[in-house]
Amino acid sequence: MTLDWSIVWLNKGLLAEGALMTIVLTVLTMGLAVPLGIVLAFMRISKWRGLALLSQCFVELFRNIPLILIVYWSFYVIPILVPVQFSAFTTGLIALVLCVSAYNAETFRAGINSVRAGQTNAGLALGMSQFQVMKEIILPQAARRVLPILATTWVSLFKDTSLVSVIAVGELSHVALQIRSQSFRVLEMLTAMAVIYWMMGYPQAKLSDWIRKKFEVKE
Amino acid sequence: MTDTSPNRRAATQRPLLEYKHVRKSFGAFTALDDISLTIYPGEVVCFIGPSGSGKSTLLRGTNGLDPFDGGEVIFDGLVLPRKPSDVRKVRRRMGMVFQNFELFPHKTALQNVAIGPITVLNTDKAEAEQQAMTLLAKVGLADKADNYPVNLSGGQQQRVAIARALAMQPEVLLFDEPTSALDPETIGEVLSVMKALADEGRTMVIVTHEMSFARRVADWVIVFERGKVLEEGPPEQIFEAPTVERTKEFLGHLGWA
Repeated sequence: MTLDWSIVWLNKGLLAEGALMTIVLTVLTMGLAVPLGIVLAFMRISKWRGLALLSQCFVELFRNIPLILIVYWSFYVIPILVPVQFSAFTTGLIALVLCVSAYNAETFRAGINSVRAGQTNAGLALGMSQFQVMKEIILPQAARRVLPILATTWVSLFKDTSLVSVIAVGELSHVALQIRSQSFRVLEMLTAMAVIYWMMGYPQAKLSDWIRKKFEVKE
Repeated sequence: MTDTSPNRRAATQRPLLEYKHVRKSFGAFTALDDISLTIYPGEVVCFIGPSGSGKSTLLRGTNGLDPFDGGEVIFDGLVLPRKPSDVRKVRRRMGMVFQNFELFPHKTALQNVAIGPITVLNTDKAEAEQQAMTLLAKVGLADKADNYPVNLSGGQQQRVAIARALAMQPEVLLFDEPTSALDPETIGEVLSVMKALADEGRTMVIVTHEMSFARRVADWVIVFERGKVLEEGPPEQIFEAPTVERTKEFLGHLGWA
């Protein structure tokens, strides 16, 4: 079996575009899933039972089915539910946001709950309102615990964006797999894909480790 | 009631704090069973008694953190409100010191002391920090102002917590077993700060197991058992000549008398 690596070099422009699309998807997904996760977490801990239940249903639904299924589901179901025709990119983005915001909601909720009740009491005893306690005491402490988990989610998300290739979103996996099927250079393209993902993923994983170390809660 | 005891020198004034028929249960367990007590301005009152006797529960209900099921607290002539926005206005006039310090770990010692006035009283940040520095100096920790709680010993953390409570210029200080979580060698430094506050004439309500401190510093001692007041009186009476047999037994268990 002969290997012809020139196929990778010949398609460097396409692969670079795919890689860029992977990054754009990751950034946009997280950019939307963080605020949405915060909203869902606050709904979940709110005293209005209806809101809490709504958030719980959302989270438990999207966190417990495989992402690839959410991707397919979005692709086939969204056009039925809404009269607007979304592009594959938007559909893929929606699927990723649904999944990651469910994860983030749980991360934020756990972060808020991890601050012990005595801290709330100490703030209230000073005469602070519940809102002030949340803003000054709970959230800053929760953020330190949440950040490392968000970093881990980020790294997983970066790799999971590959799943939207199944609905033909032109990110790295889709581009590479297209080239593979047109050229039959299977081993070369899969290896190239692995190398590109690794080179982009490794620094992110290292950054995530650094964040975990830096923000470790000491009490 | 022994409120009118001739030994209680502050009793001629208007009470600062009154508990009237206070009740509280946790499920089937009655934590406070019809407690009525009076605390006068300038007094140091110690709540003593075995674990689970209700003394901490009473203290924690005083500022409404853990509201009572029945009865009422009257602070400076007004019934403690139940509505969160109203009870807040009363809470800021009471300082509270917790068994586990509960300093804010993400803030320095100075920021811990300054945060109350900044957020609750809208004090200017620079002014609040200047006051905080004065208070840290008062508890002997001016040199630790920039330390985070994690870098302070238990005794130092509790002294910062006392400074944090003082920053709100409270009319009464509530101490919930302030030395129970401390290493023996740091208990003394906290007690001497508390003694200094008592000498300034501050009104203090202290739940404590430190009997020699209560004997030395308290103006009035209240003994709790099973959610009831067993006996109250000046420390000389409680520690030297208790009138109730159970008080003698309790103090005897602690190696007193």
